[in-house]
Amino acid sequence: MVKEEEQNGSEKGVSRREFLTQAGWALGSAALGAGWTPSADERALQAAPEFESKYACPVDAQKFATFEELQAHFATAHPHVAAPVTTLRVNERDYPVQIEPQWTLQQTLQFKLGLTGAKTMCDRGECGSCTVIIDGKPALSCTTLAVECEGKSIETIEGIAANSRWNPLIQAYMKHDAMQCGYCTPGFIVTAKALLDKNPNPTEEDVRQALAGNLCRCSTYPRHAKAILEAAQGLRDGK
Amino acid sequence: MRRFDHLNATSIQEATSALKNKSAVFIAGGTDLIGRLKDEILPGYPELIVNLKTIQGLDYVHEEGGLLKIGAGTRLADIAADPIVRLRYTALGQAAGRAASPHIRRMGTLGGNISQLHRCWYFRAPQNRFECLRKGGKTCFALAGDNRYHSIFGAVNGCIAVHPSDTAPSLVALDARIKTTKRTIIAEDFWDVRVASCTVLDTDEIVTEVQIPAPDVGARSAFVKFALRKSIDFPIVNAAVFVGGGAARICLNAVAPKPYRATKAEQVIAGKSIDSRNTGAAGAAAAADSRPLEANRYKVQIAKVLVERALLECASAA
Ligand code: FES
Ligand code: FES
Repeated sequence: MVKEEEQNGSEKGVSRREFLTQAGWALGSAALGAGWTPSADERALQAAPEFESKYACPVDAQKFATFEELQAHFATAHPHVAAPVTTLRVNERDYPVQIEPQWTLQQTLQFKLGLTGAKTMCDRGECGSCTVIIDGKPALSCTTLAVECEGKSIETIEGIAANSRWNPLIQAYMKHDAMQCGYCTPGFIVTAKALLDKNPNPTEEDVRQALAGNLCRCSTYPRHAKAILEAAQGLRDGK
Repeated sequence: MRRFDHLNATSIQEATSALKNKSAVFIAGGTDLIGRLKDEILPGYPELIVNLKTIQGLDYVHEEGGLLKIGAGTRLADIAADPIVRLRYTALGQAAGRAASPHIRRMGTLGGNISQLHRCWYFRAPQNRFECLRKGGKTCFALAGDNRYHSIFGAVNGCIAVHPSDTAPSLVALDARIKTTKRTIIAEDFWDVRVASCTVLDTDEIVTEVQIPAPDVGARSAFVKFALRKSIDFPIVNAAVFVGGGAARICLNAVAPKPYRATKAEQVIAGKSIDSRNTGAAGAAAAADSRPLEANRYKVQIAKVLVERALLECASAA
């Protein structure tokens, strides 16, 4: 795990951790290591754990300390096996990662990068809970092959939560209690962020249209529009 | 998903020749294919997936030489938002804007939308639980089973699953041509019912372009859809209508194994004014040949009404 540097300085708005606790989210406890102290928003992302399996050889399961060692092992031990080793650019950070061609982006984010925010609910492209932003457009990570994401810029809920600019959106979700179990919520917020990037001043109809690909089993629908419209106002005012 | 190899094709030639040695399938938006692979609904599992998204120059919408040309890799969302499509090829713009959900419309392509496999809960049941005709089996389970969403116009090759595409009926109504790597096919002849396929395409044939003749001044088209949910849903029935030069082209989908051209309805409305009396007769004619199954009689009424509504929408837009 990347070490947290000591941060002095006061925090503006809600940190990722406070957000998670206050909102009662289960973004996945793995994302929050034990003894993790909240620090600058940007630091929150660094807390994504690097799974042990990250550098395990998919063919013979040998483990390696670094990515380079795995690559070297692959080249000598399994020259005939295609091993997609690639760099995924997630939340403006480059992750070297070894992926299997049949892995979805969602699986890769969750099990290789430890980014547990994009969740599978249906795993069939029907519910939107796995939404991430790929090159500026919301996309379903459960229905996207990770190997096809090389060279693309991926944004996940973790990146949005870690960026203080988007505090108004998260605050508004908390204020309007726009979630119950919270399982679908990352998908909604990521979709909302993509909408507000493109259209900072949406109407309620725009919001409803943008969210039409996200399902919520707890039926929190009316609250999303309220929260997002208020967030749009807050973002425009630069709050 | 089980393992497969993956190739980012950089040209059509590379994509088609990749199919020579291995059992391979193409992936564009992937919104139908990936679910299919996860559920392993087909008897054979591909060794290789060939990505068509990495081929340059399959993503465009423009008018040229009296035709609207749309690259097969164009996303549904881009088609739905295109001002020329919305204005002159309205039925296609409306269909592309009503398919699936906003996320899927941003991922799914036009070529994929027309090539997607049938929807039938026996055919689509995970792990090949029902070895039906479409998998090389001997039985259509929907005939004796729950067929509430199935064909009201009988079977094709023994199968009564419906073709669920929203853009397909619009392409038929607009008299489109589907250009592939081997030939150009009239939209109406594009679909078929085969084991593991719903088009007439060979396994190494790729749709490259959809062409629609530019409509005359004053021509109108419209698409309407009935689904249980407003978004993220397949049609129970959908209908596309083109009206121009005193004639009409009417096509329904999700009512038969292939998009269903309602020629009787076209004859009824031809040369007549489009008002509620004539459209009612056209709607009735559209369903004249229907043979509903035990559980899907309700779809007949929906089909009639959708044809009426699509016609009236053309009239009110005029
Ligand atoms: S989990 Fe991806 S759409 Fe439901
Ligand atoms: S809050 Fe539970 S699924 Fe949406």
